[in-house]
Amino acid sequence: MENALELAGVSKVYGQFIAVDQLSLKIPMGTIYGFLGPNGAGKTTTIRMIMSIIYPDQGSICVLGYPNSEVIKDRLGYLPEEKGLYKKMKTLDMVAYFGTLKGLGFRESRQRARNLLIKYGLGDWLNRKCETLSKGMGQKVQILSTLIHDPELVILDEPFSGLDPVNVEVMRDLILQMKRDGRTVIFSTHVMEQAEKICDSIFLIHRGQKIIDGPLHEIKASGGHGLQIDYEGDGQIIRSHPDIERMNDSGKHAEIFLKAGRNPQTLLASLIGKITIRRFDLSEPSLHEIFVRAVGGTSDE
Amino acid sequence: MNKTFLVAFREYYENLSTKTFWLGIFVFPIILVASLVVPTLLEKSKQARVFTVVDHSGWLHKAIAQKIKERDISIVLNGALEYWLSDENLPAHYPEHLDKLRSLVNADNLNQYTVALAAGQSDSIQLPAKLTESINSWRESLTQAQARQISANLSAARFHMSSVLATVTELNDALINEDLFAYFEISDDPLNDETALIYVSNNFTDESLKYWYVSFAEEIIKRKHADLFDIDDDVALKLTESLHVPSRKITNEGKQAQVDTADHVHQWVPVAFVYLLWLSVFSISQMLLTNTVEEKSNRIIEVLLSSVSPLQLMSGKIFGIAATGFTIILSWIVFFFIAIKILPLALGMPLSFDLTFVVSDLRYIGSFIAYFMFGYFFYAALLVGMGSVCNSLKEAQNLMTPVILILLVPMFAMVPVGQDPNGVLAKVMSYIPPFTPFVMMNRAAGPPSLFEYITTTLLMLVSIAFVFWGSAKVFRIGILLTGKPPKLREILRWLRAPVGTAPKKTTELE
Repeated sequence: MENALELAGVSKVYGQFIAVDQLSLKIPMGTIYGFLGPNGAGKTTTIRMIMSIIYPDQGSICVLGYPNSEVIKDRLGYLPEEKGLYKKMKTLDMVAYFGTLKGLGFRESRQRARNLLIKYGLGDWLNRKCETLSKGMGQKVQILSTLIHDPELVILDEPFSGLDPVNVEVMRDLILQMKRDGRTVIFSTHVMEQAEKICDSIFLIHRGQKIIDGPLHEIKASGGHGLQIDYEGDGQIIRSHPDIERMNDSGKHAEIFLKAGRNPQTLLASLIGKITIRRFDLSEPSLHEIFVRAVGGTSDE
Repeated sequence: MNKTFLVAFREYYENLSTKTFWLGIFVFPIILVASLVVPTLLEKSKQARVFTVVDHSGWLHKAIAQKIKERDISIVLNGALEYWLSDENLPAHYPEHLDKLRSLVNADNLNQYTVALAAGQSDSIQLPAKLTESINSWRESLTQAQARQISANLSAARFHMSSVLATVTELNDALINEDLFAYFEISDDPLNDETALIYVSNNFTDESLKYWYVSFAEEIIKRKHADLFDIDDDVALKLTESLHVPSRKITNEGKQAQVDTADHVHQWVPVAFVYLLWLSVFSISQMLLTNTVEEKSNRIIEVLLSSVSPLQLMSGKIFGIAATGFTIILSWIVFFFIAIKILPLALGMPLSFDLTFVVSDLRYIGSFIAYFMFGYFFYAALLVGMGSVCNSLKEAQNLMTPVILILLVPMFAMVPVGQDPNGVLAKVMSYIPPFTPFVMMNRAAGPPSLFEYITTTLLMLVSIAFVFWGSAKVFRIGILLTGKPPKLREILRWLRAPVGTAPKKTTELE
């Protein structure tokens, strides 16, 4: 079995609204795969169909070689976007409860929950109620609950949303650790920069349709090179330059694509003196640029 | 099934640690004990009503006092006779020398002895004069507490006649100061005056004193009238006697038998059970609704759904809370049994009727448990489906209103159904699934025919399966929904719509 997940012609319709349209996708084992797209693009619907929480109207989904993920739910780990805890339950009890729901024995489940919580620095909180945890700790407990049964495929829906930088770091380490442990990780996000940093492969979805998918380096290489500029001053000066085809401006940083045949040096020379330039280099385009190009400038972000 | 059990077990375990659960366990016993004990205690603590009589006729009150004395002695003799007949010694609170009558008094001559003792005529029944004297002086000095030990019907147990002589003005002052509860003013000529006596009191709620005293006055005046018109005593007795109409029932053997208190209780016990059934079905399924909405707003549902199917989750919740409710109800039944066995002994007062049949009769307890199950599963499945589309308790309460209205119908029908357990109303309502459990419980005294038991049970099982199916469909979609709750029309569409191309089951597996 090469692919952890295969989708073929999957569609889901809610009334008049087409949430997912004719989606086909193959995700190889052992990779970190990013589901990218703006809010409402169909990421969560796709993930819920993979988890058999809802069923597709058309097409087939094959998870870990099985056409029905319901029978192999115990080999999957899932952290939904909307995460919750049983407030009145003790941390250890809760993690262990999810272990038993995933088919672990009662004793084994408690033992594993205890080990996991201690390993991730929650040893002092084993017998505290979940409502006493801080947000970061709560997130940890939630993700440990999805990992307790050693899943082969882990699906995380917006794992970074609402986390502070320190906890983003913790989450990223956890995801990388999962890959080292040989698991396949799928996660969704609408923040392209996060995906760029850790994904092996990505899948871009917009209005229910697949825009692009494949290994990140291939996608980036096919996009042509762009100029990355860090600057201070008026961005309009750059934008109004006649050599420029497109520009993604964030105020201090801009990604610039020149018209065909134009020389970057000419641009640099004409900007000097007008704005302060701190960095000027030629590199692969950002995911944001790839996305904007693919959807024809109709990004909702 | 295993996962359903895990969900159910967690629910149950968590509920055990909630306040609601323990409140449920204790509230009923507290109410039960209170309803048994408080009236008794109130009755015990009730002061004897102090009254006096202004007698302008000069004779009527004396005659009444004599009648009261006769009634008291009759009560004492009757009480004593029961001990004598069962060969027991008289308790200490009976008059000291009364035991001398043990060999003399029987049911036939009891009246004769009563009259003689009250009149102090020891000769006619060859009693030592000392005995009549001591019994009469015992009666005179009887306190309220002593009187109650023998019978609550003894005059001293309820009323105290103040012998202080006073003018009407003084009595009025005493009434206002509440030194006096009431007084009677007897006219000059009670036999001919239109108003023979008047009753003066400021308490209009407790008129027991008036009825008690007047009943003696009435008897005496009627007798006197009979004398005046030369009507024979026996004839007078016949004329004044009220008609005696005993109630009878036909037993299963086809014989006539007397109707006693137990029969009336039998008839109305189901009503009490309907109340209890209603209360438990309502509160426990409400518990489920609250729990579902809370869990949904907690955002924990989706994590669960990655491990268990919506149907497993839903049935796990329903069974878990069913177990909670069942624990509460069993504790009630056990407590009820203990209470009716032990409480009367502890309080030193026998219940006026035996309630043990309630717990030993399968018709009641069996019906109660069965109809609790039916009612609970029906309403629980309904409410869990409803709860799944709500995001807050407030939304859930809005949706609850129609359910409460439906639930009120069997409450309103309770008395008519109880009066005519096999009537048309009762029979028709038994076949309307939301009412079936309550109405069938209500009819338990009837009881309904075996045919009805079987058909309504089948109907109930089919309805429960139907509600489960519908709720499962709504639950699957609703539980993941956030934002505005869907309209009824939308929910109906969910019911009709297929759940998507459901994946093939085991056949397609490797």
